[in-house]
Parts: sequence; structure tokens; C-alpha cells
Amino acid sequence: MNAPAAWQLDAATIAEGVRSGARSALAGVEQCLARIAATDRRVNAFTSILEERALRRAARVDAHPRRADLPLAGVPFAVKNLYDIAGLPTLAGSKIERDAAPAARDALLVRRLEAAGAVLVGALNMDEYAYGFTTENAHYGATRNPHDLERSAGGSSGGSAAAVAAGQVPLALGSDTNGSIRVPASLCGTFGLKPTYGRLPRSGTYPFVASLDHLGPFARTVRDLALAYDAMQGPSASDPACARRAAEPASAGLRDGGTRPRVGVLGGWFREMAQPEALAAVDAVAEAFGTTRLVEWPHVARARAAAFLITNAEGGALHLADLRRRARDFDPLSRDRFLAGALLPAAWIVQAQRARHWFARQVAAAFATVDVVVAAATPCVAAPIGAEWLELAGTRLPLRASLGLLTQPVSCVGLPVVSVPLWGMSVAAPHLPIGVQLIAAPWREDLALSAAAMLEAQGVCSAPIAALRETSSPRVAA
Amino acid sequence: MTPTQIETVVAANAAALGIAIAAEHNPGVVAFFALAADMADCVAGLPLGIDDEPGNVFVPVAPQEEP
Repeated sequence: MNAPAAWQLDAATIAEGVRSGARSALAGVEQCLARIAATDRRVNAFTSILEERALRRAARVDAHPRRADLPLAGVPFAVKNLYDIAGLPTLAGSKIERDAAPAARDALLVRRLEAAGAVLVGALNMDEYAYGFTTENAHYGATRNPHDLERSAGGSSGGSAAAVAAGQVPLALGSDTNGSIRVPASLCGTFGLKPTYGRLPRSGTYPFVASLDHLGPFARTVRDLALAYDAMQGPSASDPACARRAAEPASAGLRDGGTRPRVGVLGGWFREMAQPEALAAVDAVAEAFGTTRLVEWPHVARARAAAFLITNAEGGALHLADLRRRARDFDPLSRDRFLAGALLPAAWIVQAQRARHWFARQVAAAFATVDVVVAAATPCVAAPIGAEWLELAGTRLPLRASLGLLTQPVSCVGLPVVSVPLWGMSVAAPHLPIGVQLIAAPWREDLALSAAAMLEAQGVCSAPIAALRETSSPRVAA
Repeated sequence: MTPTQIETVVAANAAALGIAIAAEHNPGVVAFFALAADMADCVAGLPLGIDDEPGNVFVPVAPQEEP
């Protein structure tokens, strides 16, 4: 019987094989590149493939004198195209940045993963400048959901989630400002980690909203999430928002089994803004933890509104020069929002930042009696590409913005979250996944990861490689 | 804000910032500004006190910390 190809394996298994000499990093990277070549015409996850660089670096891992010490030895990975890659312009999903000078060096997190033995194989599609939840990019095309190619992968890190779900790479990096890791992880059926705001340095990535931007990994197992997270931790003075905090590795705690967390279910807004499949997924997680405890955060709608305003204003201000000179070069799905954001009164934004701090204190108090709270990651499963509307609580809402209704209040106050994928929750579309957020207090990624590992061990959540089938869901004209 | 107020503010702020909004983009910009105005109303309903400082805090940069 032939050994499985690298693309069929998780990162930890690949790394174990390369460390022991049972597998070759070079052969593994070649297999992943072949998988990308065979599938990406259908998925459209990648915007750049770094074949020559990846093969060269994989060979270097095989020859590394301390290969046996590399935690991610020979693990192929890819990054959202807002991460700097030496020699390429950092597109951030835009047409405008094609004119930018090539990056002089890799983003810090890319360097940290490669120092741990991982091998960068490419850059991934996203919503323009990260302002979206569907990766329907006017310049580079829509990324398709590997579990149903007619449907959205979610966004803005849609390429990252899709590449992991399609078995193109076992590990990918994305960014999350209002839900851009958790939304695509939910819709593509992968695990995703948004760490605490300030935990991972953002040096060498294209910003969207400095007040809210986070970076984090996608993977098909919780162990892989923790491995990548551990390899990327540590402060950096080059990111002023990065906490001066030593690394707090989480992988060892997973191996020990961890302690059973006190779990609560978020009520109010988080149940009102969820369709039946999202509620079913949360209830399945609550049942697995044996909890009926309901936790209510106050004024969630106001916190979400604060995140909306901060995002809109900071994003607009960041792109002011291009909005003046070349507004027509923006993606139509983001242009008018950036223009409006640049015009907002300052008092609205200062109030939003004050509201954010007020909300953070209320949420901190609510963690006195629980370690982890759960809420759906998206209100619904993936919609057909081009869909415009979502029915929620008897109201017709714009789909693209509403995909972040359940994630935005959480990232607004920077809490660490692991999104775990559940299956069979939608009666109408049982083949589609939906994610549940496992949310911990700041700096307690270990608790969210342990809770995710417990659910994974019980078989409540999983992230299988997609069969890449088209189904009969109706195509909607964009 | 009324629709007229929103259109007026959008035009005035765009002029102040040197942004020429194309006619075909203006309805979208006005609609998104109106949405932001609703969000600002929502935030304004929060009972904030004088001790509620903004959530973005400046971090001083010491010379040795320059990247």
C-alpha cells in the first residue's frame, strides 16, 4: 500500500515524518504543488504560486542539520495575499497595489513559520483590502467553497480557508478584523484561530484597521492550529499594538488533555442573529459540554455598531490618497464603503472607541463564572456566490455585511476565539459545514484551544478534505 | 439625520477632503454614510461616563524599540 501523499495529511503528521526522516520535505511540497495545480482552477484560492522558492526551501529543510528539532519540518503553507512575500507586491486583494514595489522581505509571521521548518508555497485570494466577508473579488475572481463549488468560501480570508478545505495546504494564515478568519473557517469547514488582539505581531502585513486587525492560522486539526500558533508567538517592537508578552505555548496543554472548561452559551443578540442551523450547531456544542448555562453580554448591538464605525473610518482614512486619485480602481464591492468611511465625523469614531472600552470591561466581568462562551460563527451556512440577501429574525438583511454579525462584537474587544466546524446542521444543505466560536478571556487562547480539542476528540467537530463537487444549488448572477 | 442632511454632509466633507465623488458612485456613498449614521445613533445610546476612555491607547516608543 502506498503511503498517503502530503496533501492528504495534517501538518503535525507531515512534520513528524520529516523530522524522523521517514518523509522528504521536498517530496511533500511537490505533492502539495501538484494538488494545487490539479484543483485550483475550480477553487480559485491562489493568486500566486511560489514553486521555485518552495522547492528550494524544502530541499533546505531536508538538509537541515537540526531537522529533528523543527516543529513544522516540511509543512507546506500559504498566506492571504496581504502578507509580504519577498519579491512580490503585496496585493491585499487589490488592483491598485499591483503598482507597489515588491516587498523587500517576508512578513514576520512567515519568517517565524519558516524558521520552524514550514515551507511557503503561495499567496491566497481575499476581499479587496480585507473589506468583505465573501471573497467575491472583482480583480481576481471569486474563491469557491470546496464543499460546494457554487457557493461562497466566505471572507475576507476566503482563499486561506478554501486552500485548507481543498487539501491544497494543511496550514494557511489569514487576518481577522471583524470576522475574516472565523467567517470563512465556518463556511469552508476548517478550524480557525483568531488570537487575542495584540498577541501576534502584524509586521509586514498590509493593514486594514489598525485598531482591530488580528492575524491567525487555519488548519484541519486543532493540534495543527496550536502548532502554528506556538511557532508564531512572541512580541515584536515593530508592531506597536503587539503586547510585550512572552510566548505562552498551547500545544503541550493539548497533549495533556487540559482541564474541562466551564462553558456558557451566549444569549440575546447571538441567538437572535442566527438561523436554525447556526442554533443547532451551538446547541450540539453545549450538549457536548453538558452545559445549559446562558451568558448575556450587555449592549451587543452597540458594540457591533462601534466596530462598524471604527472599521469604516480607519479603512477610509487609510486609503484616502487613492480615493482622491483613483477611486475607479477600487473593487465596486468596497469602493463606496471606503469613500463613505473617509467622510465620517470624528466625534462618531471617538465615541465608538469609548464604547469599545466600556464593552470590554462588561465582557471581562462576564468571564468571572465561565472559561469559555460559545456562539455561532456565522448566521447561516455558505450562500450561493452572488447572493445578496439574508432573512434573519424576520428581517431581510444584506448578506455580505451580515455574515459578520456574530463575530464583529467579539473581535471588537479582542477576545481569542477558535472556530470549530460542525456538519449536518442545515436540513436544506446537510453537506455544508457551519462554525461555532469558542471564545475565551483575553490571553487565554489555551482554554479555547483545549475546548476545541475536546470537541474534536468527541467527534463533534472535524475538518475533512472536500470532495470538490458541484451541487444543484442555484447559481445567482453577481 | 435626514436624507437631505446626509447628502449635504457627504458633499461638504468630500469637498473638504478633496475627494471628487463620481455621480454614479454618489448614491452608494450616501447609502453607506446613512448606515454609518444609524450606527453612530446606536453607539450614542450607551451610557458612557467621563471615565470611559477610548479603546485605542497610544504606546510611547522608546529609542531602543525602533524597528
